[in-house]
Amino acid sequence: MPAREHDGRVSVDPPLEPRTRERAAVRAGIRDGALVVLGYIPFGVAAGIVLASTGLGPGLLISSSPIIFAGAAQLVAVQLVDQGAALALVVLTVAVVNARHLLYSASLQPHLADWSRGTRMLGAFLLADPVYALAYSRFQGPDGGGARRERIAYYFAAGVTCLIGWSGLVAAGLVAGRFVPEWVPLGLAIPMTFLLLLLPLVKDLPGAVAAIVGGLVAFAAHGFPLGTGILLGAAAGILAGALVMTRTRPRAPVDVDTAAHAAAPEAEPEAGPS
Amino acid sequence: MIAWLGIVLSGLVTYLLRVAFLVHEKLKPPKAVERYLPLVGPAVLGAIALPGLIAPEGVVSWAQTVPALLASLVSAVVWRFTRQLVLGLVAGLVLWWGLLAGLAALGLG
Repeated sequence: MPAREHDGRVSVDPPLEPRTRERAAVRAGIRDGALVVLGYIPFGVAAGIVLASTGLGPGLLISSSPIIFAGAAQLVAVQLVDQGAALALVVLTVAVVNARHLLYSASLQPHLADWSRGTRMLGAFLLADPVYALAYSRFQGPDGGGARRERIAYYFAAGVTCLIGWSGLVAAGLVAGRFVPEWVPLGLAIPMTFLLLLLPLVKDLPGAVAAIVGGLVAFAAHGFPLGTGILLGAAAGILAGALVMTRTRPRAPVDVDTAAHAAAPEAEPEAGPS
Repeated sequence: MIAWLGIVLSGLVTYLLRVAFLVHEKLKPPKAVERYLPLVGPAVLGAIALPGLIAPEGVVSWAQTVPALLASLVSAVVWRFTRQLVLGLVAGLVLWWGLLAGLAALGLG
């Protein structure tokens, strides 16, 4: 029971009971998460079809969605594991592919500061690209996302919806993969999806240079030992982008929100997943 | 078993990156990280995407590379105007299949 019902003060403002507001936040989280999941249908199903073509068991493939709740990294990790890559290489590649999550973590920190440490650490598990985008845009709103409990309700509702939705889409793709005839070529589906995820992230010249150099170096390194192409390409791309950045805007001030936003997909769920 | 270990460790490293600045309120990322981390996304996605766009079936040849790059270009243009990933993907794949079928019909595939 809220304390204010017992201490005699008249409640003036909140037009709604805290419980009602919390329930509304849960509904909003589920609705926004569901919209994101709708946008993820092609990528999730295509990912499932590609995963089904690996030699790994269905139990592992289905579990990989909730364990590595990050589409691109999940695909890369499963493919590397399937090809028998060294564990250290798998982990290093996943770390590079997901490095942008460091920025999400830093960017959400002020909005989650009044949560208990346990709640924050639990929430971190759900901090995938779309969940960051949804939480960030809501917590940046005029009311800051509401009281602590409303923010927690929204965040976890949206996060769990995305987690369940993504796992379901991949599972659907795993099943669909059995029905796609051999003669339908699908080799381009995943790289093309990654291209379409990349485009919204390229917002300036350094970003474009990083993407092109990263891609060309990774392609040139395709004869190198398994999986090192992504790492070499990423390193070369970042280096080239950083060089351009130093040339074009020397020591420009950056703050973590701008940086996280540059690293994240558009905050609007309709704009597409990453 | 080693496959499970790989997946679980990948999940663990993903979690550690996400929790890094949520463990303690005072922890802030260094300026260099804030400045250069936005380049990681484009560089990584470029590195993952481009080799597959140039050689979708793992080989570089006129019959494979040209249709794939053309379809990718169209896919990007469709996305640019609609801002819908789904539309870009469908347009690109349909064109790709059409080009492959056309080449096969001409005996060039």
